[in-house]
Amino acid sequence: MRLGEALQIAGQPVGERQRHVHLLCGFEPLHLATFLKAYLRLRFPGDAICVHTGLYGDLEGNIQRAAQKSAEGGVALIEWSDLDQRLGFRSSAGWRAQTLDDIAAQVEERCLRLETHLAALARATPLTVIAPTLPLPPLTHLPVFQTSTFELRLNAILIDFLQRVCQGKGIKLLNPASLAMSSPASARHDLQMDLVAGFPYTLTHADALAELAVNCLFAAAPKKGLITDLDQTLWKGILGDSGVEGVSWSLEDKSQVHALYQQMLASLAESGVLLAIASKNDPKLVETSLQRRDLLIQPEQIFPVDASWGAKSDAVGRILKAWNIGPDSVVFVDDSPMELAEVSEKYPAIECLQFPSNDAAGILALLRQLRIRFGKEDIREEDRLRLQSLRVAAQIESESPTEASPDFLSRLEAELTFDTSGTDHSRAFELVNKTNQFNLNGARYSEAEWKSRLDRPGAFLTTVSYKDRFGPLGRIAVLGGYVKGDRCFVDIWVMSCRAFSRHIEFQTLRQLFAKYGASAVQFLFKPTERNGPLQTFLRRFLSPDAMAGEVLDLPAAVFSESCPPLFHEVIDRWT
Amino acid sequence: MDLIRDKLARCFALAFPQMDPSQYATASAANTSEWDSMAQVTLLTLIGEEFGIDVNFEEFEGATSFDSLASRINGISPGA
Repeated sequence: MRLGEALQIAGQPVGERQRHVHLLCGFEPLHLATFLKAYLRLRFPGDAICVHTGLYGDLEGNIQRAAQKSAEGGVALIEWSDLDQRLGFRSSAGWRAQTLDDIAAQVEERCLRLETHLAALARATPLTVIAPTLPLPPLTHLPVFQTSTFELRLNAILIDFLQRVCQGKGIKLLNPASLAMSSPASARHDLQMDLVAGFPYTLTHADALAELAVNCLFAAAPKKGLITDLDQTLWKGILGDSGVEGVSWSLEDKSQVHALYQQMLASLAESGVLLAIASKNDPKLVETSLQRRDLLIQPEQIFPVDASWGAKSDAVGRILKAWNIGPDSVVFVDDSPMELAEVSEKYPAIECLQFPSNDAAGILALLRQLRIRFGKEDIREEDRLRLQSLRVAAQIESESPTEASPDFLSRLEAELTFDTSGTDHSRAFELVNKTNQFNLNGARYSEAEWKSRLDRPGAFLTTVSYKDRFGPLGRIAVLGGYVKGDRCFVDIWVMSCRAFSRHIEFQTLRQLFAKYGASAVQFLFKPTERNGPLQTFLRRFLSPDAMAGEVLDLPAAVFSESCPPLFHEVIDRWT
Repeated sequence: MDLIRDKLARCFALAFPQMDPSQYATASAANTSEWDSMAQVTLLTLIGEEFGIDVNFEEFEGATSFDSLASRINGISPGA
């Protein structure tokens, strides 16, 4: 992005919602602030973006002061000159050999103080920390192509500091390798601008830094599922022509790129990503080939396998139904541009990526793209359980294809746990921000907004975990709001689509009414394009007229009248 | 020179979004409160982008009006 473009984007008309972000650095933020604002505008279209900067030359103070102001996030940029001014180009304090020990000691001490300040700020707002991006000045006696022990010492102090900072909750560290790919080290420093304006970056470097910082701080919700083709994608060769032993994925067979892809898929599956196959092939051949022992992905990690001779988009449709997720959460990978186009035409929301079979650099780019699409902060128990629960859902559907009968539900041995201890609010936060179908109003929250919801007078927030004779689903629902008098006000209610058809939503409301002795529950409801299942549930109790407003009133008596028999054993940790 | 002034006007529109375009021709750091040293740096950077030139800040020393900027640009890149 050029500076002119950034200024244009940053200056576009805005809506009412304001987002405040700290940009914390010791230099003049100048164009970096402009680029940051522009990328934030692109990330949150229509919202007003306020980038708060601090005082020149006072990174520590800026971080401390930022902790006093609420914001949705912060970017803390540390350059060597922030750790000791003598490591910058605006200092004339001398590069004598006898000062090097003193510089190292100063850097160590400054790192310790920064660690404390960053941890304090991260308790108030999510932070992305960026380690020095500019090279050290040529201040030792060695030729510049040789690393000095002084530089090694500084780097050791820095790495130690960054490791400690990274362990802190709410702090992400920008990956320097990713930065290097978009901003080569040789094209980062603008000495003229540094000396004239106190802004040390070239425009290209400031642009790259801002884009990555926004991606890191406000990461897009990860995709949930990947559908892959087989021939010339998962493996090299055409199964129907070469046979089960004829397809390959190895160095020996000059098909290592397919092994890399398989490794990536296995790794994604381990992190809870759903994997499925859509292939125009003979189903029996496919089944046999997936049993090959040298396959780098376990057959159990793939569900469903849809091999047929019909249109790829039909196979994709069946897979989406089995997964019960929207197409916008899915990536489809195929080597054929025609197949990608056919799927894309029917499901424009699916992200279609081509597998570039004969392009090693392209494969690497694809693998990086997959990590970007599916990368996540933490891997939870629910991620491990996701695939298993989908298989179970398919089994349940096969046993009880229409609405589950009371008899069937009574034999599930279902156990529901309501937990308000808040030990894992991050799972609740994640669930609320990614659930579409059973979602009361489609609201998405920043971490700061989430915290403010929890701090309201009378606030409650419970997670709901489920298990039955088919196995656990983990934490699959979140209910939140506040209590005022004999009424409960609910503005947060989501449930994972994996948990449908088990009457968990009924039990959740029953527990809510019982827990607070509420005469009515009021819902802050908003219909969305995706929350049909939630609307269907509410219509069971409320007339179309009653559903018309934003705040829906459900009296306890109305709920009791229409609530079906429930068979869950309830574990009550709702305090 | 007209091309230079047109391009320079685009830079002004970005650097001083609140300024009425009719005021560009007479604008200077002396009569424009938002034209401070940082705005000058931004303006020169935009000039570098718009005209495809490496801006040497020393060459633009004292160029703090629309006319003087246009004149310096013409000196570096005649007709732009």
